[in-house]
Amino acid sequence: MAYKILEGIRVVDLTTVYAGPMGTRMLADLGAEIIKIESPKRPDLFTRMTAYPDNEPPEKENWNAGGYFHLLNAGKLGISLDLSTEKGKEIFKKLVKISDIVMETFSPRVMDNLGLGYEELKKIKPDIIMVSMSGLGHYGPLRDYYMYMTGMEGMSGLTYITGHPDQPPLLSNYAYGDWMLGVTGAAAALTALYYRKKTGKGQYIDVAGREAIVIHIGDVIMDYTLNGRVKERSGNANPEMAPHECYRCKGEDSWINIAVENEEQWQALCKLMGKEELKDDPRFSTMEARVKNRDELNKIIEEWTSQHDHLELMEKLQKEGIPAGAVLSMKEVHLNPHLIQRGFFEVIDHGKDVGKRPIGKQMPAKFVGLESYTPSRAPRFAEHNEYVFCELLGMSKEELKKLEEEKVIGTVPRFPPGRPTRLDLIEKQAGKGAGYVDPNYLEELRKVFGEDIAKK
Amino acid sequence: MGEERALTGLRVLDLANNIAGSYCGKLLADFGAEVIKVEPPKEGNPLRKKAPFFKDEQDKEKSGMFFYLNTNKKSLTLDITKQEGAEVFKKLVKNSDVVIEDFEPGKMKEWGLSYDELKKENPKLIMTSITWFGQDGPYKDFKANNFTAYGIGGAMYVMRPTRWPDTRPAVLGGYQAEYTAGLIAYIATMAAVVSPKEEGTWIDLSVMEAVTSTLTGIMADYSYLGLSRRTLPWAIHGFPTQENYPCKDGYVNLTPGIGGTQAIADLIGKPEERENPLLVKAGARVKEPEKFEALILPWLKEHTKWEITEKAQKLRLAFAPILSPGELPDDPQIKAREFFVKVEHPEMKEVTYPGAPAKLSESPWKEGRAPLLGEHTQEILNSAGLSEKDIKELQEKGIV
Repeated sequence: MAYKILEGIRVVDLTTVYAGPMGTRMLADLGAEIIKIESPKRPDLFTRMTAYPDNEPPEKENWNAGGYFHLLNAGKLGISLDLSTEKGKEIFKKLVKISDIVMETFSPRVMDNLGLGYEELKKIKPDIIMVSMSGLGHYGPLRDYYMYMTGMEGMSGLTYITGHPDQPPLLSNYAYGDWMLGVTGAAAALTALYYRKKTGKGQYIDVAGREAIVIHIGDVIMDYTLNGRVKERSGNANPEMAPHECYRCKGEDSWINIAVENEEQWQALCKLMGKEELKDDPRFSTMEARVKNRDELNKIIEEWTSQHDHLELMEKLQKEGIPAGAVLSMKEVHLNPHLIQRGFFEVIDHGKDVGKRPIGKQMPAKFVGLESYTPSRAPRFAEHNEYVFCELLGMSKEELKKLEEEKVIGTVPRFPPGRPTRLDLIEKQAGKGAGYVDPNYLEELRKVFGEDIAKK
Repeated sequence: MGEERALTGLRVLDLANNIAGSYCGKLLADFGAEVIKVEPPKEGNPLRKKAPFFKDEQDKEKSGMFFYLNTNKKSLTLDITKQEGAEVFKKLVKNSDVVIEDFEPGKMKEWGLSYDELKKENPKLIMTSITWFGQDGPYKDFKANNFTAYGIGGAMYVMRPTRWPDTRPAVLGGYQAEYTAGLIAYIATMAAVVSPKEEGTWIDLSVMEAVTSTLTGIMADYSYLGLSRRTLPWAIHGFPTQENYPCKDGYVNLTPGIGGTQAIADLIGKPEERENPLLVKAGARVKEPEKFEALILPWLKEHTKWEITEKAQKLRLAFAPILSPGELPDDPQIKAREFFVKVEHPEMKEVTYPGAPAKLSESPWKEGRAPLLGEHTQEILNSAGLSEKDIKELQEKGIV
């Protein structure tokens, strides 16, 4: 029997795109019941239309096939409901009445304008926990700024300290800021659940993505508040460690991170490189000297690393107790023996047009000794209308039909024609390519996750 | 304390030596849990040796790193690697809800403190173990730190500017692999704490997997498209979305958002350029990014990041300034939300640091300082039922 830690906790999920859905996916991985609400007029567009299986948008129901949507919304239930209609609001309130948590990522004011702000919801369900997630927070002079992950990261100080000194400041490139916002929202929701368990009281929670990110560079901020020192971006250099760099390896675009923490590791590295003379070289004989002469040091080390395969080299370095991590590409992540053996990927069957695909966990922690719980596939649009409206809220099938006719709910969202991802442009971007397309990826995945991967 | 905070009533033993576990404990403490930092006697927790230091004075009571990650905690010195220390630790476990630890796999067992042993003392115990690679698997005994874990977690590979996708990847600033793991550990721990099932459990979290889990959509890039990206694809996100460009006093991020790229013509005071294909067609920009840059860079160079942002935001362009850590305290939004907090510390005087990760209306987060080494040893040992004589004996043996 799969063990659901948060079994019985019901979350009304109004979030869309990236940030919020990551937070609610995490709660779904923990076994909470997540009811994702989408408007038939405004479905969760971007993720639903991005990464169609094998880059072929299906002719029918193209809104149900996006890979991003599948990953971000596994384990959730999906319903449709137009909150701009009176009936939609009424039904929403009924749903809130039987739920524990409401999570939303609308711009500040939207929920209040809909008449569905915390004060209203509290009247219906006094102990409701409502989590509002936004870029800069729900009050303050800049609360209405248009914010995406870019602004949240850019205004947090994190971007300023990231990247090489001779290049512009670098964003995370993988929506880390969005992850921070959604996941901090999930963390806050669980914090409030504990308080409710003790006191019976619900509450309103205001999460600002930018602030959530600042908290993750607290030590950098403190160097400023304690010493007035502003950290500048320095690539991969570390003020306390050298070698501490991402080194080129043999093969195209292949890299390894090596970070030597002490003399023992340094001596082991010199031996492994066959350059024991470096140990006594005054330029490198102490950590301080190595930090100072890191550019020269890095050149010497890269000469050596560039003759080796990054994965083999990692094994060799680790055998000598030297912290080294091959810089894995997404392909390598999917084929990584450690992640596979630990069960990081779960094979989830998405049914027609998609088949089984490995889906990464959003809650990577394992609960030892408890039967692991694999989330169900992401819901099809409005898939759980009947369960939620009839079973949970006690409506009749006739009422459901009427709501459909009145367009309060609907099973067909307003959705543009599906388009493939322009992999050809990605491969040519900026002359060098924004990524690599592996034509044999399904075979690779089948070798690891089973022959039935992606059998449609 | 007295007042009821979100996690008041929860008791946590924090054995963490690294950032992730200590950060998990900090979150618990700041929301009101009683978190006891168990430190080795004499030199104390290893984070006390980490920069930044107050006035750069390397002193175990002056580490900003230790301070930040241990706010609102209590400090107990106890050598759990010795049998007598381990026995005292077990006594504390009886009255605690959570243990956080980040030793190498197998260490706790070596000291007689495995989860199975501790569970005998307290069947409802939640033990959160954070290691670089987890408790099992082929990399279990690999050495790592923030930098190498970030690389092998798969995040580093995409860390290159879109304009120069073949350059050397750059790590995300600070210690993001570790903070990420700490936040996930907090969520896993709290899920077990609030679980309606009320059962004890052992949580096994790997920093590598924590990093990989943050990659979300770009994982699907491979399993659905066969794509391994090494930077941000314009064909997915558009251009100049996510680009940072120089301006008069730094850098500004150009994400058009709902304002649309044509609004850039109004921004730069050239409404006649609204129909310029470079602003109308994404394809035109992607084909010749340098022409787009030539159109906008001269204007950017003449304006400050806040000037650009304010004007752009009025045009519904989601542009934003790239702020340095030093600019944050003066940011009007940060100020209005009283995000930074200030506390007194006996050795570091007044300390200012980033405050609440979330504003909870009924049970607010609270600021506090980090404990001095062993500051609460007496009080905690007394609460575990040790007599003055017992404590003295342990002191003489160097256990506390």
